Amino acid sequence: MAGHRDPELNPGAALRALPDVAPQPDLWPDIARSLARRRRSRVPRIAWPLAIAATLLIALLLPRFTVDPGAPASVASTPPQSGERERPEAGGEVDELRLRSQALERWIAAVSAHAPQDGRDLMAAVEVEDLIGLVDLQLGAARNAAEATPLWQRRVVLLEDLAAIRLGGYAVAVNEVDAHAPRAIPALDVN
Amino acid sequence: MHAFEQIYRSFERPAYTLALRMLGDAESAREIVHDAMLHVFERIAQFRGEAPFWGWLRRIVANEALMRLRRQRALAFEALPEEPDADVDAPPPWRLADLHRLQAALDRLPPLTRSVLWLFHVEQCTHQEIAELTGKSVSFSKSQVMRGIQRLRALLEEPQEETTPWPVTATPN
Repeated sequence: MAGHRDPELNPGAALRALPDVAPQPDLWPDIARSLARRRRSRVPRIAWPLAIAATLLIALLLPRFTVDPGAPASVASTPPQSGERERPEAGGEVDELRLRSQALERWIAAVSAHAPQDGRDLMAAVEVEDLIGLVDLQLGAARNAAEATPLWQRRVVLLEDLAAIRLGGYAVAVNEVDAHAPRAIPALDVN
Repeated sequence: MHAFEQIYRSFERPAYTLALRMLGDAESAREIVHDAMLHVFERIAQFRGEAPFWGWLRRIVANEALMRLRRQRALAFEALPEEPDADVDAPPPWRLADLHRLQAALDRLPPLTRSVLWLFHVEQCTHQEIAELTGKSVSFSKSQVMRGIQRLRALLEEPQEETTPWPVTATPN
């Protein structure tokens, strides 16, 4: 992997044996204050769903905490492939929700390319995208279809919310130019 | 907010330890962890579940720490003295040193060397990853690891009175 790591010659094992250190005094109150200050300026109605989603995240993510290296990827437009890992158990409902989710994403991507967004809509869209990201995080940890199904349902609902926000901007855009964009949210085009 | 706190509590130690080992300063490490955690909480949508969360957070902490060192001009290359060849038959001194002595010796390394050594040996980063993080070359990373080990060995072989205790309170796991 990363070159020569002979424990006899290299100090890796000894360095790893050094104790982890916690910040003293506790750093959380400072972080909480900063977080609250920043979030107050954003759309408040999203705060509770975000907190609920974060709670779910903890239950799913923390048991899987590992120290393997990794890197972030792009925005939550593509969910993790937990459903594919669990393909044998994943029933038709997950497949249906995944298709619905993909259709909504395509529609949103097409509309977003044509529609201007005012600041308020943009802020709301960012908040919903945050929530979708949290759901994706949980989907990455889902072990079977029973865990994945409600998450996919929530993802679809959030994408519909996002589509509704995008639709506002699109309606304005259509009145201004004849954009070649989808005309409606794809309610029935999953099959 | 409670959920965010739980996430923070789960990762505060590895994040703070990484920042502290790289920077060698408790107050700077606090600021780095503060900023990194805010960054993570505000950009949670950019995280995809198939990558380990710690891998993402670690990269952010390391980046923030390296930026801090850069601002402090501590990333400038600092030539390490040539060390005599080690006695290959003798056990390496880190096998015999106690934790305080090892921490003290580590703290005496130049910041960049210490950071590269820690990222390579403890965080298990590859030389390629370290090169990307530091903005230097792969061969630079390799040479820093080699020279850092030599320097650490020399520091640990110094008479014990010359090392000072690690200045930061370390809380065992």
